[in-house]
Amino acid sequence: MDALNNKLKEKVVDLNTILTEKYGSILKMNRQEIRSFINNYVGHIKKMEKLDKDQLSIYQSKGGIVGVDGSVNKIGGAYPHFVEIYQALAKSTTHRDDNIVLADLYTPLYTEQEETTLENEVRIIDDKRNMKLSTIEVDAAIESVKNHKPYAILMDGGLIRYNINAHDRWMELRNLCEQEGVILVGVIKDIKTSIIGDKIKEVDKSIKDTFYDRELLFGQLDYGEMITINEEANRKEPKGYASIFLRSSLAPTVIGMDIIDSQREYIEEMARLIFTLTPENSRGVPLWLDIVDKEVLISDDMIKSMMEEYMDRGLYERFFISERDKRN
Amino acid sequence: MSVLKIETRINEFLIIEDPHQNNLLGEVVEAKTYNRYIPLNIYGDFVDNSVLESLRALGYNIDDDTIYIAKVRLLNEALYPIQTGSDVRIPEFMEVKDIMIKSSTEEGLTLGVIKNTDDLAKDMDDEFKDLLYTFEEGGLIPQNEIPYILDLKSMHHYPHIGVFGGSGSGKSFGLRVVLEELMVQNIPTIVLDPHFEMDFGEVASYMEEKSIDFTDKFKCLQVGTHVGVKFEDLSAQDLKNLLHAASNLTDSMNNVVDILFKPRDSYYSFYNRMQMLTEAQEEGSLDRIENRINNANDNDERKAWLDRRDLFISYDKTCPYNSVRGIIWRLKRLGNDGVFSKDIKEIEDGLQNGKLIVIQGSTRILQVFSTYLLSNLYHKRRDYKDALYKKTTAEYFPPFLIVTDEAHNFAPKGYDSPSKSILKEISQEGRKYGVFLILATQRPTLLDETITAQLNTKLIFRTVRASDIQTIQEETDLTAEECRRLPYLRTGDVFISSANMGRTIFARIRAALTTSPHTLNPFDELKSKSKEDDDKFLNIIMSKLPINDIELAQVALEIEKETNITYTVNNLEERLKQMVDKNHIKKEETIFGYRYKV
Ligand SMILES: Nc1ncnc2c1ncn2[C@@H]1O[C@H](COP(=O)(O)OP(=O)(O)O)[C@@H](O)[C@H]1O
Ligand SMILES: [Mg+2]
Repeated sequence: MDALNNKLKEKVVDLNTILTEKYGSILKMNRQEIRSFINNYVGHIKKMEKLDKDQLSIYQSKGGIVGVDGSVNKIGGAYPHFVEIYQALAKSTTHRDDNIVLADLYTPLYTEQEETTLENEVRIIDDKRNMKLSTIEVDAAIESVKNHKPYAILMDGGLIRYNINAHDRWMELRNLCEQEGVILVGVIKDIKTSIIGDKIKEVDKSIKDTFYDRELLFGQLDYGEMITINEEANRKEPKGYASIFLRSSLAPTVIGMDIIDSQREYIEEMARLIFTLTPENSRGVPLWLDIVDKEVLISDDMIKSMMEEYMDRGLYERFFISERDKRN
Repeated sequence: MSVLKIETRINEFLIIEDPHQNNLLGEVVEAKTYNRYIPLNIYGDFVDNSVLESLRALGYNIDDDTIYIAKVRLLNEALYPIQTGSDVRIPEFMEVKDIMIKSSTEEGLTLGVIKNTDDLAKDMDDEFKDLLYTFEEGGLIPQNEIPYILDLKSMHHYPHIGVFGGSGSGKSFGLRVVLEELMVQNIPTIVLDPHFEMDFGEVASYMEEKSIDFTDKFKCLQVGTHVGVKFEDLSAQDLKNLLHAASNLTDSMNNVVDILFKPRDSYYSFYNRMQMLTEAQEEGSLDRIENRINNANDNDERKAWLDRRDLFISYDKTCPYNSVRGIIWRLKRLGNDGVFSKDIKEIEDGLQNGKLIVIQGSTRILQVFSTYLLSNLYHKRRDYKDALYKKTTAEYFPPFLIVTDEAHNFAPKGYDSPSKSILKEISQEGRKYGVFLILATQRPTLLDETITAQLNTKLIFRTVRASDIQTIQEETDLTAEECRRLPYLRTGDVFISSANMGRTIFARIRAALTTSPHTLNPFDELKSKSKEDDDKFLNIIMSKLPINDIELAQVALEIEKETNITYTVNNLEERLKQMVDKNHIKKEETIFGYRYKV
């Protein structure tokens, strides 16, 4: 036991050394330096005001705000004896009883194409999930534009992934939003970009490592501040989007938001909307998206009982009850 | 367990519409509110209100997502498990009428409202509307809930009522309402009132003109002043009970009464017999008494000692001196309280006329008097009923109710008391004869448990003391949850647990129409009481002034004859001195001693 602990201790110390080495130069930069670097090379740091009630009431009269989110449940055991259930929900602040819910599922037991090589297993499942989930999310948004005619749609997560995962449907959504004048934004809790880090490497050629925005921005913005990323800095990202970072809650993490570039003029307004809707003691996600998230989430138990009810008992047990389930 | 979109309150009724069985009626026994979007503490803090306001401005009111979770107890057990997803709704009045209202207003006591029934009450029959007001912090509130009507007739099957609750919980107020209702129905009722608070002559200040005049319906009678025990009517057993209530009797003392008390004795004849016996016993022997007889100064004295000798011969062996003294002392104590100065005729007449008779006196006097009174009345009623049964004749005596506050003083747990034995008898047999009890106490734990077990209906007000809550839990069908609520009940809110209803009802007692005259500051009261006493005393002695100190015994005797008030010489002298101190009369010295004069 002690030997085991000692091995682990060594590994943790190693990790600490590696991170210190990698981030030493960055961690040495003080807040002032980082902020002025950002101001000079990435985009303006700016203080936001929350929207007032009158402004929000105007949004309400123009169709309200829609939030879109998806969920995944996995039932069963190891490959290929499982099924993944996807759900998407578009929920409007003004159409309480008109939620748009779409669902899809995936199981390796049944595939449209033959892809059974085990080494691809993980990638295939990921692809499937991304594709199916993104598609129903986008479809839910499309239906919402048609039915709810909202002022703006907040997608949970960045917009860029739809480009890859559900390209055709996504294009339709973009066009529809542009036509109808519905503002379309994505809210990113976990930003994965390295816009600032790339700029640092570019400016200081001695730096070889890639630093991510999430780590760099931690604690660097004040509550209610945002960075509008200038086009030049953003150029490495896929074309067609404008992005900002903002600190929307008292937590030191920073979240991201993107918008289709034809609607760039609304970027600040939308950042303020997100700021307004985010509880100060939260991780930074606007409450409306939290609400949609909670509502789209179904418990595994619920899904299981549904499968029990709507599948032949024999089939369900043969394919989807894992050893672990049986033990319980 | 039901998840609902409608807000429910505890004790509210719901109908579960199970598609596979008949509608199921249930009562909410636990109600919770839950909003899944406002997890109270998930990130260590509440969602700030401004965000909720913003959502509201965007058209979304998060309160509408509140769901209500109710635990419902079905009134009748369901035959099958309830189908999940069954609809739940608030019943119509007609669907619950039978379980809520057991009596018409003419035949029942309208004590208050059943709480949390305002939704049901909307389509209630007119006869149940506008019957009463409740009294809340803001003043009188018109009735908007279903009335709670205690079914008087059901007392024939489910006799006796208990009223429990801590001090200030609304017991006396509740009793007052019960008594008002009994008066409206002209039910013969005896109230033992140790607090001197059950007077119905004063309209409650908040009622304005919405009251009823009860003046002809009740009578307040004070023991010793208006009512008492007629000594000549006492049986030996009655007398023993009375003396025992004054202070416990030993076996030997009981024996003394059995031997010395003769039927039709008056207070004085009995008293004199004992007095003479003890004087003889003080002589010590027959020889010395003979001596007294032989050396008597005159005929009277001789005769007196001859009588004493006869008593000595008959009773010295069987009646020990100390026991006789003990009886004398107890008898005098009762006599001084005025217990023997009147009779219970007025009480009997009142009951015969369907009146409410309030007997007032200190707890101790009431203990004594009620023992005699209740057994007397109970036996009159019993004799009448038995005579009917045996087809002989007896004087009519009506059924009646006995109501008392501080019942644990009259029927204490753990030791015997004379009033307890009669109350116990009535609790066990009274139903047969139409004699019923309403016993109120703030200490149910101290009330005799046999009697408690006979209380078929219990009104339970706020109770804080753990031991009493425990007793209530054991003696009623209140659920653990309801018991947990007991310490937090508002004054005047009450759980009514009745065998007749088959379940517990949560009610609020209505506003009483009248008020207790207890508004006098106790110190003002003391002053005015002594002034009253002084006036009374002066009235008595003025005509006898001047009084020489050697005449005091004579005067005391005269006063006793004229007014039935007994003063010892010491007493009388003490009172005269007080009058001198207060400058009402004067005291002067003469060659013969003192003299009191105008
Ligand atoms: N049902 C009621 N409605 C309004 N007020 C009440 C009610 N019951 C009691 N009260 C108020 O509370 C006070 C105390 O009540 P009371 O009956 O004297 O308590 P207890 O006899 O239990 O000590 C009363 O004087 C009255 O003002
Ligand atoms: Mg009281």
